[in-house]
Amino acid sequence: MNTLEFLYQGFLVSFQWTNLFYAFFGVLIGTAVGVLPGIGPMSGVALLIPITSTLTSGASPEDAAASSIILLAGVYYGAMYGGSTTSILLNTPGESSSVVTTLDGYQMAKQGRAGAALSISAIGSFVAGIVSLIFLVFLAGPLSDLAIKFGPNEYFSLMILGLCAVSGLAGKSLTKALIMTVSGLLLATIGLDNVSGVARFTFDIPYLYQGLEFLTIAVGLFALGEVFKSILERESTEGKIAKVGRVIPSKENLKKSAAPIARGSLLGFFIGILPGAGATLASFFSYLIEKKVSKHPDQFGKGAIEGVAAPESANNAASGGAMIPMLTMGVPGSGTTAILMGALIMYNVQPGPLLFEDHPQVAWGLIASMFIGNLMLLILNMPLVKVFAKIIETPPKYLLPLIIAISVFGVYAVQVTTFDLYLLIAFGVIGYFLAKNDFPLAPLVLGLVLGPMIENNLRRALTNSNGDYSVLFTHPISLAFLILALLWIAVPLVLKYRGKKVITNEEG
Amino acid sequence: MINRTFDRWASIVFVLVGIFFIVASKSLSTTAYGSGVGPDVFPFGLGILLVLLSIRLFYETFRYQANEQEKVTLDWKRFLIVIVAVLFYASSLEWLGYILSTFIFLVITFQTMERGKWISTILVSGFFSGGVYYLYVNVLKGVLPSFPLF
Repeated sequence: MNTLEFLYQGFLVSFQWTNLFYAFFGVLIGTAVGVLPGIGPMSGVALLIPITSTLTSGASPEDAAASSIILLAGVYYGAMYGGSTTSILLNTPGESSSVVTTLDGYQMAKQGRAGAALSISAIGSFVAGIVSLIFLVFLAGPLSDLAIKFGPNEYFSLMILGLCAVSGLAGKSLTKALIMTVSGLLLATIGLDNVSGVARFTFDIPYLYQGLEFLTIAVGLFALGEVFKSILERESTEGKIAKVGRVIPSKENLKKSAAPIARGSLLGFFIGILPGAGATLASFFSYLIEKKVSKHPDQFGKGAIEGVAAPESANNAASGGAMIPMLTMGVPGSGTTAILMGALIMYNVQPGPLLFEDHPQVAWGLIASMFIGNLMLLILNMPLVKVFAKIIETPPKYLLPLIIAISVFGVYAVQVTTFDLYLLIAFGVIGYFLAKNDFPLAPLVLGLVLGPMIENNLRRALTNSNGDYSVLFTHPISLAFLILALLWIAVPLVLKYRGKKVITNEEG
Repeated sequence: MINRTFDRWASIVFVLVGIFFIVASKSLSTTAYGSGVGPDVFPFGLGILLVLLSIRLFYETFRYQANEQEKVTLDWKRFLIVIVAVLFYASSLEWLGYILSTFIFLVITFQTMERGKWISTILVSGFFSGGVYYLYVNVLKGVLPSFPLF
């Protein structure tokens, strides 16, 4: 079968009415997550993993995996659409990837052009989503074919590269990012060792034999951590919400935005593929580029529509691009894709080169559903943008306790032990204090997801070589990955040492 | 905002965590059947790495510039009430049943967030706890602790 036939099969999967429902539910929640400041795509996706696994509990494992990844991915790219709404209407970005949108978006809203800004960002996001999906369709096959030739030593080095890239760009302090990465890898070693069957660090506590559950840690760190932050710091979104006004963009606006949308989509996609970089960096760079190529750079910051169109396209394209290394190679390049990957592993679906062969239904079903999801989002975000703007007014009084209750329900429904509930609360508290003090959480999750695979590949490589560590450096591809990993850490460090400002990725 | 005290304590905790993993991995059997690399190698190496990184962080804290702290008033009282409430919720879930424990938790936390408006508090708490229980147990056929048997 060729790519288009696979894609056709994927559409058959995603057009099943249950999967249409899951896609719709996902993008709807995603938009809401994007609109609500304080809940990012990471916490949104983490919070919904247990919910989807209860929803899909009746289906066969393969169907359940396809449906839940369709929903969870919908939350991810839906958040990219929703993030712009508060940036434009309130001058408060809903996500870190929409920070630059506030520069021109809020100015436009003040001039009474909020409707145009919102619709252009929805159209830009849609175009970018489709562009990145088309690339995804045609790159998926060749990349998995390439990755399938990797031996365990190449895999080990590739994953180290992924970890270094995310640590190197996460947060303000490299030392702290690396501490979090190593902690994640260490937490992943708790439980039965799946090579030798030896129980590690379990101290005969029966709950620990399975290892710490990824789901519990992710929900605790992200969802509960965010709630505790809002409770402690009394965040309030005050300020006036601008009137939306006319939503249909004028011809002139469309003409002005066409080129920025195209550039933003391409740039965003390629930045998204890079491990460690992500939607935040993509939107930032595309804004800078638009300012450079524009004939009237002085207009930027004063309500230039190009300054809304480009970054909003870029962040959506980046979220599509970020799926590529996760799906084809099994190496997620960001916190959110790491959580998505953790969800797939929960269903015994291992992302990586074999995903497209072993689980075509999951892989192609997901890709096809993203086409449909983007279309749904365009419809949701154009006529219904006024409804979503109302979500901003949800009183935190109800929202925060309900998020805690949903987390408790979700974790208990999947794990059915109170032990995991205590673990959930503990990780919520730890997550809040660490994040508050600039310890980035994304590297920890990445370490947790990649830990077992890194260890297995390392041990397989060393078993093949009779314990000789030099196999990691003598194979050219493996060596190249390790050198790249080293550079990824070293270059920002050198730049910082020289006093240059290094842009870091806060989304993770 | 850099918090020197927190980072120092954190680096000490991380050193201890690293030492714990180093020591504990030494008590694991060193080889597995058919493999020269046992289950102890990976955590042992990571433990050493964690200790080194934490020492580096401790050293970095001495080079922090003393900058004025941003004054954010933290609402500790509210936070502590919520933490106690959620701990009680977790421990009571299996003996009070899902509906009752969730209802109590939501009423306490709603009122902690904002006093008053008892009617809407009770309505939202009731609908959420009853609704989730009904949907999950009766529609999706899942299992949640039911009402207590007294």
